[in-house]
Order: sequence, then structure tokens, then C-alpha cells
Amino acid sequence: MFEIKPIFNALLRSKAGALMLLIQVAITVAIVSNAAFIIQDRIEYLQQDTGYPEDEVFSFTVFTYSDDIDLIQKFEENETMLRNLPGVINAVAASEVPLSGSGSASSFQLDADPTDSKSVRAAYSGGDENFLDTLGVSVSEGRNFNPDEVIVSQDLSKIPTVIIVSRAFLEEMFPEGNGLGNTVYMGPAPLKIVGVVDKMMGPWLKDRAADNYIIFPFLQPNNFQKFIVRANAGEREAIMRQIEDIMLEDYNKRVITNVRGMDEAKANYNASDILMMRMLVVLIVVLVLVTALGIFGLTVFNISKRTKQIGTRRALGARKSAIIRYFLVENSIICTAGLVIGSIAALYLGKALLQEYSLPELNNWYIVATALFVLVISLLSVVMPANKAANISPSVATRSI
Amino acid sequence: MLTMTNISKVYQTEKVQTHALRDFNLQVNEGEFIAVTGPSGSGKTTFLNIAGMLENFTGGQYMLDDVDIGKLNDNARADLRNQKIGFIFQGFNLIPDLNLYENVEVPLRYRGIKAAERKRRIEDCLEKVGLGSRAKHLPQQLSGGQQQRVAIARALAGQPRFLLADEPTGNLDSLMARQVMELLEQINKEGATIVMVTHDPELARRAPRNIQVVDGKLADFTLYQSREAVLDTANDNKMKSAVEA
Repeated sequence: MFEIKPIFNALLRSKAGALMLLIQVAITVAIVSNAAFIIQDRIEYLQQDTGYPEDEVFSFTVFTYSDDIDLIQKFEENETMLRNLPGVINAVAASEVPLSGSGSASSFQLDADPTDSKSVRAAYSGGDENFLDTLGVSVSEGRNFNPDEVIVSQDLSKIPTVIIVSRAFLEEMFPEGNGLGNTVYMGPAPLKIVGVVDKMMGPWLKDRAADNYIIFPFLQPNNFQKFIVRANAGEREAIMRQIEDIMLEDYNKRVITNVRGMDEAKANYNASDILMMRMLVVLIVVLVLVTALGIFGLTVFNISKRTKQIGTRRALGARKSAIIRYFLVENSIICTAGLVIGSIAALYLGKALLQEYSLPELNNWYIVATALFVLVISLLSVVMPANKAANISPSVATRSI
Repeated sequence: MLTMTNISKVYQTEKVQTHALRDFNLQVNEGEFIAVTGPSGSGKTTFLNIAGMLENFTGGQYMLDDVDIGKLNDNARADLRNQKIGFIFQGFNLIPDLNLYENVEVPLRYRGIKAAERKRRIEDCLEKVGLGSRAKHLPQQLSGGQQQRVAIARALAGQPRFLLADEPTGNLDSLMARQVMELLEQINKEGATIVMVTHDPELARRAPRNIQVVDGKLADFTLYQSREAVLDTANDNKMKSAVEA
């Protein structure tokens, strides 16, 4: 009924057009399945939970160019001033801002002697007891810093003795689950873990250990001081617009720069990923479109080349549906061969990308879904010209021209 | 088995109406071999197309084996073509990408005949036209005469009630034309009804019955009748005149 054998034999006897299409289908499947997988991987990355209410938090930098004030005292005043602004939930001066793409990291050991000790890398930041609340996170186990543990000083000889860590760090350092209350070392300095935050990402989302994050109750105020503010989501933009005036009104021998929402900072950090995703989407659309047009074009060409043959088939008793079926089956045979070759190529391409660019391993379901998608697109591309072919009058069989 | 009553066919374009057939009446009986002649553009091919249900007619009635063709839809006509009619075309119309076996198989597949039965019929028919050993060849590897014999095998494979041949020897030299004609005659002897459109008076003369289409109408068909028949008709007319006088 489907005439698979004669169609297949006929294809083998005039291969050129079919072969071109087959290659095109194979390339489309190989590239689209990998591109779709990369896009999905990037979407997951971009949509991952960072732990922070990104639309409530913003940060800015204060560049103080005069030395006629005590920065420690001024920043204390500014924190209080900011916290009292209508719409502001909390504010803090901090050494680093999470998700901003800039920060500090270090190795933390289980023992004071680093030579034979387990070591886990983590990003860190410092601030007072308001740091966590300003970022919209809270300790799930243990406790927050006590005000008397917080060291705000220019004197680097005073170092904190307690830290709050993200759960990811705690579990990597203490897989047995006995981390809280334990001590880790930064160089020779012992640091007791007093609190754990379930989800709290560091400054670099693309880092292998992006959610290993440690907070010190420590701030060394300086001429380039970062501030973090959390406001009600709806009021944040208005506060961000006023922040420069408010800060300069308080004291004007300084410059306020880099006023950015946390979501904006994150988007800037991820700009290249978003661009890559868009380019991949364009690539997919173009490839699928070119393949669909190729199939459409080849079918139209085949039909115009075979007008007499189609008329003859109709004269010999083919119903219109048999003509449509003929072209659908012919296309399906070419596509299926292309899909099989393309799927194998997709696997190899996925492996190459895994090795060359450290991308995650291609999920085979993406190949299956892409192959089915390309098959559906190819059948849709054939339906219209095949319908036209079915309407060729059987009387063309008796025309001599 | 085939009766056309007042068949007309009008081709309508924006400005011109062309009457390809008008008041066309014909009765074809089982087992006949009819040659249809006529000048170019007289409507021969239109008649053949309508007889073979390749085209619809504008008016009149066409009965084929007691089936009123005018009342059938496209699918029913396709099925009826497949079951009852074998076509032989001037240009052979073999499918170039299919070998001889597959070409003969085409109408059988549309009828849904099982593979074993198809094989038997195809081999029989190719044998009958003398090409049994070349089933795997492609049409372009054969001469014109051989291709036309394949086309005849294809027409016969469906065991049709009648064969419609459109200038079956038009593209062949005289030797091959004669071979094809002999094959058709043999098929006719075996019981098939044949209607053949031709330009060639030689071929037409070999057919027991001739009809001529002129300006879309069936003309007096004594032209190529055998000498005896012409004399008979002449005598009849003389007698008629005598009686009337």
C-alpha cells in the first residue's frame, strides 16, 4: 500500500537530489539537537535559584576622595540613614556584592597546617549582622552574627573568629553532616561556623563552586566602599534614582557610582550567555527553515519533473490520496535515513563539545525530540506540493507535449 | 459494453469556448477492435480521454458496463479505470526510475493485489510481450518498440475489460509498429475489446471497425471499412433509392 520498495528502488536509481536532502536533514538534526540542549542548559543556568530576591536588592559604590572624615563613623551613619528611608527594608556596607561578577575567594582548610589538610575553595564577603537580612536570606541552622562579633576597623590585625557559610560549602567540607559549630582555617586563622544559609550564591555564577559562599563579620571601610540595599520590589527603582542625591546631600566630597539592581548586575554578568542563546535560537530557526525550504523545493521540482508520470499513475488507477502518499513516503524514506545519520552525528558532536568546551553531556532525548520535530516539519513541507501533485489531471498522460 | 449518448465536451477559457466534442454517440460491443481516425484537433484524444475517464465530459451520458460514469466521484473513477481499462500511450509513459517489473506492477499495487499474485501476473505479461528475461532492465535500456511492449504488458496485467490505445505506434518505425499491431490483434483475439486512436490509415485498415471523428462528431465510418462492407452499403443505398422511387 505504501509502495516503499519501488519508491526506495527508484530513489537509489536517482540519488543526487535525495542525497543532498539527506545530508541537510542529518546536519540539521546534529546541530539543532545540540543547540537546543545548550539553550536548555543555559536557560536552567539563568533561571537557577540564587537564594536572593534579585528584584528587591541593589548596590552602589561610594568613592570618597576627601580624607577629612572618619569613614567608619560616616558609613555607620549612612547605613542608619539608608535603613530609615521609606521603602527600604535594610542596608549594609559590604566588602563584596554577590552575583556581581567581582569578589574574593580563598581556600579553607580543615586543619591549621595546610599541607595535609582537606581544602575547599569558597568565595567570601564581609559585613555586619545586617548583611544576610539585606540580601534577603537568613540562617536556617545556627545563628546570625552577634553585634559584638562584628569587627569594623582599618586595623587588619583584628580578625574575626566566626563565620556563616552556605550549605553547599558546609556539605563539601563536612560531608558527614557535623559542620555546624566546627572550625575551618583560612591560613592559620581558625574560624568557627556559627550559622548556615541554605541557598546563597557567590559573586561568580559560572564558577564550578558558585554556591560555596562564606560571610565574615568584618568590614574594613575604605575609599571605594560598596553598599547593598534591599527595598520593597515596587519601590526599588525610585530609591535607586534618588540614592546619589541622598548620599551627596549627607556628605558631598564623594562620588556615587555603579548604582545597579542585583538582577541587572546578574544580567550583565550573563550577557554573553544570553547573546549565545539568542544566536543559537537564530541558528536553529534558520537551519530548520532552510531544511523545510529545501524539502519543499525538492518536492516542487520533483513534481514538475514528474508531471507526466503523475498523470500516468492517475490514469493507471491511482487515487489522489495515493499520489499524496507517494510523496510523503518518498520524503519519509529520505528523512529517516537523514535522521539516523544525523542522530549519530549529534552524539559525536555532543561528545566533542563535552571534551572541547566542558559542556554537560548531551541528553539523548534531545536527539529523539529533534529528530521527531524535523520529521514533522519535513512532512508538513511536503503536504502542500504533494496536494498540488494530486490535482494534476490524469489526462496529461495522453498529452504529447 | 460502452455507450456514449450525446456526449459533449466544451473547453472554456476566459474568452473562448471550444467545442471539442458535440452530440457524440457511440456504441462499442464486447470483443470489438475499433480504430478511431480523424484529422488533428478533431477530438480523437478528447474522446479517448473521456472514454478512459481521464477527463470529465460537459453533457450527455456515458455508460460503461451499466455504470453511469457521469455520476461517479474522482475516487470511484480512479478505481474503475484501474479495474476495467488498460491504457497504451503514444509516448509509452513508462516510469524511468522503475525497472520493467516495477513498471508493470504499478496498476496492480493500486488495486491492492497480493505480492505473489502480482508476481505471477507480471511475469506472465512480460513473457507474453516477449520481454520476460528483461524484467530487471530500466526502460531507457530498451528500444521504443520494446518499451511499448512493456506498456502493453502493464495494460494487460490488470486484466482489463478493454484497452484504450492512443497512437500506440506513433513513435515507432514501421517494423516495430507492425509488431505492436500484431500484438494488439492477438490480444483482441483473446477477447479484449480495443479502441485505438491512430493517424495511420494502414493500421486503421487492419482494424475490423473504423470510426472517424471530424469536428468533434462521429462521421460516416465507411471510410476504412473493408471493400465488401462498402459494396454492401452501396447496394443497400441503391435498393433504398429504388424503393423510394
